[in-house]
Amino acid sequence: MQVNVLYRPSQTVAQVWLQPNESIMAESGAMMGMSTNVDMQTQSGGLMKGLKRLFGGESFFRNTFMAQGGQGEVLLTTPLCGDMAVLDVGQRQWQISNSAFIASSTTVDVQTQGSGKGFFSGAGLFILGTQGQGQIVVGSFGAIEPVNVNGELIIDTGHLVCWDANLQYTVGKSSNAGWIASYLSGEGLVCHFQGQGQVYIQTRNAQEYGSTVGRMLPPVQK
Amino acid sequence: MPQHMVKYEPTFSMLEVNLAPGEVLIAEAGSMVARASNLEMDVKLNAGRNPGFFGKLKAMMIALLRKVVGGETFFVNHFHGGQGGWVWIAPALSGGVRHIPLQGQTMLFSTGAFLASAGEVDLKLRFGGLRALLAKEGAFFLEASGHGDLWVNSYGAIDEIYCNGTYVVDNGHIVGFDSSLDFKIKTPGGGAMGFFGSGEGLVCEFTGQGRILIQSRNLGALVEWLTRLMP
Amino acid sequence: MHTEVKHNPDFAAVQVQFQQPGEQIVAEAGAMVARDTAVQMETNMRGGLGSALKRKLLGGESLFQNTFTCTQPGQTVWIAPAPEGAVTQIDLQPGQEIYLQSGAYLASSAGVQLDTKWQGAKGFFSGEGLFLLRAYGQGTVWFSSYGGIHVVDIGQQYHGYVCDTSHMVAFTQGLSYHVDKVGGMKSLFLSGEGLVCRFSGQGRLWMQTRNPGALAAFLQPFRPVQRSSG
Repeated sequence: MQVNVLYRPSQTVAQVWLQPNESIMAESGAMMGMSTNVDMQTQSGGLMKGLKRLFGGESFFRNTFMAQGGQGEVLLTTPLCGDMAVLDVGQRQWQISNSAFIASSTTVDVQTQGSGKGFFSGAGLFILGTQGQGQIVVGSFGAIEPVNVNGELIIDTGHLVCWDANLQYTVGKSSNAGWIASYLSGEGLVCHFQGQGQVYIQTRNAQEYGSTVGRMLPPVQK
Repeated sequence: MPQHMVKYEPTFSMLEVNLAPGEVLIAEAGSMVARASNLEMDVKLNAGRNPGFFGKLKAMMIALLRKVVGGETFFVNHFHGGQGGWVWIAPALSGGVRHIPLQGQTMLFSTGAFLASAGEVDLKLRFGGLRALLAKEGAFFLEASGHGDLWVNSYGAIDEIYCNGTYVVDNGHIVGFDSSLDFKIKTPGGGAMGFFGSGEGLVCEFTGQGRILIQSRNLGALVEWLTRLMP
Repeated sequence: MHTEVKHNPDFAAVQVQFQQPGEQIVAEAGAMVARDTAVQMETNMRGGLGSALKRKLLGGESLFQNTFTCTQPGQTVWIAPAPEGAVTQIDLQPGQEIYLQSGAYLASSAGVQLDTKWQGAKGFFSGEGLFLLRAYGQGTVWFSSYGGIHVVDIGQQYHGYVCDTSHMVAFTQGLSYHVDKVGGMKSLFLSGEGLVCRFSGQGRLWMQTRNPGALAAFLQPFRPVQRSSG
């Protein structure tokens, strides 16, 4: 499987080239286009896994795309304008924000790693973890910048895409100000990383973008 | 002047600043992406430099009003440290970041455009006139003057137009302009059908000589476009 | 008239510089960014009421268009679409036509005609009242996209292509297509993918790299909530 990342950093598309009978598993809704010989199957991976994914904030179902009778191509995108990266899984395992996960080779297992409460300051965000060997495709809101942690690093949690699973971290408020000032000032939670490893950050915060634009939209009747 | 660099122009621009010991960077609340662990961050009201009691009170009331009604909060973060350190700042929307060195001149900006400042920069709110109250973008402009560095952000890419006479800019597309220009907020024109049908929001007519910074996207237009798609 | 598309692919805008009085450009309502004060702006319903209504109800375009006319040489107009993304410029010759997703039309020069082409009972796009516009004539047409543009030339490198209909922006004549669901019946409801369009033949397909429906879905939880009384 070969993945070309096109149109970085803002209109990024992952162009996946599959060998005959090779497949890739992707988030529902991520497919933009594909060659005519690619077959798509929707799976829930068994009811328990599906349910766990639902509570993990992931969509219930994933799609598996397989090239039949020849090489095939699948184009994958993210819901918001942004960047994408292809990461190797095996020697290094990753923890990923669920909104960043796009696709993985079928030999990589991606599971909910725990709730995002107390980690992300937005609703509906969870942490996923990888197991196995292969590749994953992650997407971001904003450009992706890989940062090497060599000791310590403080990052606003809304800007996290994914990080090396062997980094240690604690989550807290950003400043020494009281809770009122924190609320009024718009700062969210920050993640204090320690150790050695890579962290992928995105240069925009999707939750902030959502509330900036969302509050100007017509209200929902409840 | 702190060392600085803007990366990922023009779309997901992020400002990286390296502060020397004792240097202070003031940034829009909520804009921090990451920082060195030895840098301190304080939350303060953006009341301008050396505000009196009433200056602070006015700023507090505007801040609370805006938090409830929506719009820029007027809280800012002060980053500083005894050993200096680096900090990364990014705005909420996609777009560019432009560095403007102020050497005593005055410029006006739409309130959403302020990202960060350093040095002796004074920021004041200026009322845009009664018609401006109708504007989706809000009734105020931010007036910046003094000596120091200012970073502004745009929604979209930034273009510079030199006005020599008169020029009309859609209100939602204004980033900033030289204070040497006179400005007047107006309805867009287009004849009798124009006001209802043209789809244009309020426009700002500039007169005189000076620079106008425009942005190629408009939050109000995005919201209208999205509203048609929403359930 | 000199035109330039700037800031592709993220925040594209069209910069128009008129050279002779009388030159004109027509733009989608709401698309003007800036202009010389003396440029004449006139709002009208293109093609008269009947044609405009037909386009509004079926085409997803607004009823109105603005025509900008030059009064002095050297005047400028800036035009930009609402969503973040690119603007593509196509020069049309008599006999050529392209099909645009309604809502993608941004601007055109005076010689270009727009027509609505009805697309079967099921509709081309999943929901949202979007249909196809046909542009023909002699002149230039500009269309916008949510996201950047990915071009697929069908007939050479690819014998055919399958495109999610929310990502389809425009295509040339010479292509035959039909709208379909992807995967089996289960996939139709569960996959998260909408409808797809299967293209074959010979021609060019323009796809946008982002899906407006996905943006709307992302923003939905951020909308203010109005609690109805009672």
